[in-house]
Amino acid sequence: MDLKTGLVGSSSSENRELDLVIAGGGPAALSAALYAARYDIEHIVLESYQPGGQAALTALIENYPGIKTISGGDLVAAMKKQAESWGGVFESASVISAVPINDRIEIKADSSIYSVKHLIIATGAAPAKLGVPGEDKFYGRGVSYCATCDAPFFRNSHVLVVGGGDSAVKEALHLSEFVSELTLVHRRDKFRAEPYLAEKLLSRGNCNVLWNTTLKEIKGDDGVESVILNTTDGERELKLDGVFMYVGRKPATEPFVDLVELNDNGTIRTRDIVHTSNRNVFAAGDVTDNGLRQIVTAVSDGARAASAVFEMLQ
Amino acid sequence: MAVKHIKGNEIEDAASSKDKISLIDFSASWCGPCKMLDPVLNKVSDELDNKVGFYHIDVDESPSASSQFGIRGVPTMIVFHDGQEIDRMVGFRDRNALQKQLEDLADSKLV
Repeated sequence: MDLKTGLVGSSSSENRELDLVIAGGGPAALSAALYAARYDIEHIVLESYQPGGQAALTALIENYPGIKTISGGDLVAAMKKQAESWGGVFESASVISAVPINDRIEIKADSSIYSVKHLIIATGAAPAKLGVPGEDKFYGRGVSYCATCDAPFFRNSHVLVVGGGDSAVKEALHLSEFVSELTLVHRRDKFRAEPYLAEKLLSRGNCNVLWNTTLKEIKGDDGVESVILNTTDGERELKLDGVFMYVGRKPATEPFVDLVELNDNGTIRTRDIVHTSNRNVFAAGDVTDNGLRQIVTAVSDGARAASAVFEMLQ
Repeated sequence: MAVKHIKGNEIEDAASSKDKISLIDFSASWCGPCKMLDPVLNKVSDELDNKVGFYHIDVDESPSASSQFGIRGVPTMIVFHDGQEIDRMVGFRDRNALQKQLEDLADSKLV
């Protein structure tokens, strides 16, 4: 047996006993892994959903202290490398369910069952779907949730961005460097994004904002060809080549509903930042409702959660 | 078995296999999720060597092939058997999800 991880051999489909499982792969999970490894806590990180989390999909990060600009992918790759250098143990697997059994937690992953003393839930949130006709049909064929991944496919094209928060405006700014024309639709009459970002977007010559407007339908044959918009003057069809959605996030809490209490918005209810309704379970990052949803707060949550586990293990 | 790097003009050969299904991964050097997917593909290719051929195409190196297959996002994985597209996956997949999906596809196509 590997004393650090508790792994027996390398085969799958086995039961493992550990002190800690960290579920997730974004900055909160990576920070928790770094601190857990440095505390020498017997642990494993189950990297489920999108490794690197939403941060990995962000083109440019300008507000992480100490680093003027960096791509999200590079930042999370550096975080993972640092955690591994201290003994962080990672496995690519999704958590299917987690339930309390006596004083432990039983976690079913894809091909293994873990019995652990503690769990840190840092599964983050996935981009929410708008649910309009054509959204699923044209995903990967003109509909995207990741400008960083897909912007180069829309050079000299006309694209639509849906949303008015930081993510929508940041990604629109990135897209505007590739496309010939960008139309952003927002259901309100002003942005929720940082004023600095909003002003930057409004000053771009190829960007146009339609206020009080919503997306009704995406149309096309093999790919996106047009959209139907609901405007204050009624319906309007706009011919374009791509649609980028930034309409909120859905917290990834489904496997944990029998383990911890949730807020009405689906996030995990916490007190003192990382403590959940189950004393052995902690939550960190965007899966909580801790207010500011930034990388800097996610890594703080991850460190606090690992520290709390360490104290309980003493 | 490793993932084999091919160019656009080699797709037809790669996709025409009847003995195995073929997965062609369209990705790019600037795409974060593509980098995350690479180790997953390497691991799954080791497990399914006898059922699936794994190929990788750089969309910047083979732009006309990307256009031909309607690629508008990366990573996009297209699965072929006997020259026909039988499945298309857009975005990251974890190891177990990808392996199960490919096993199901292989079982349905290979006698």
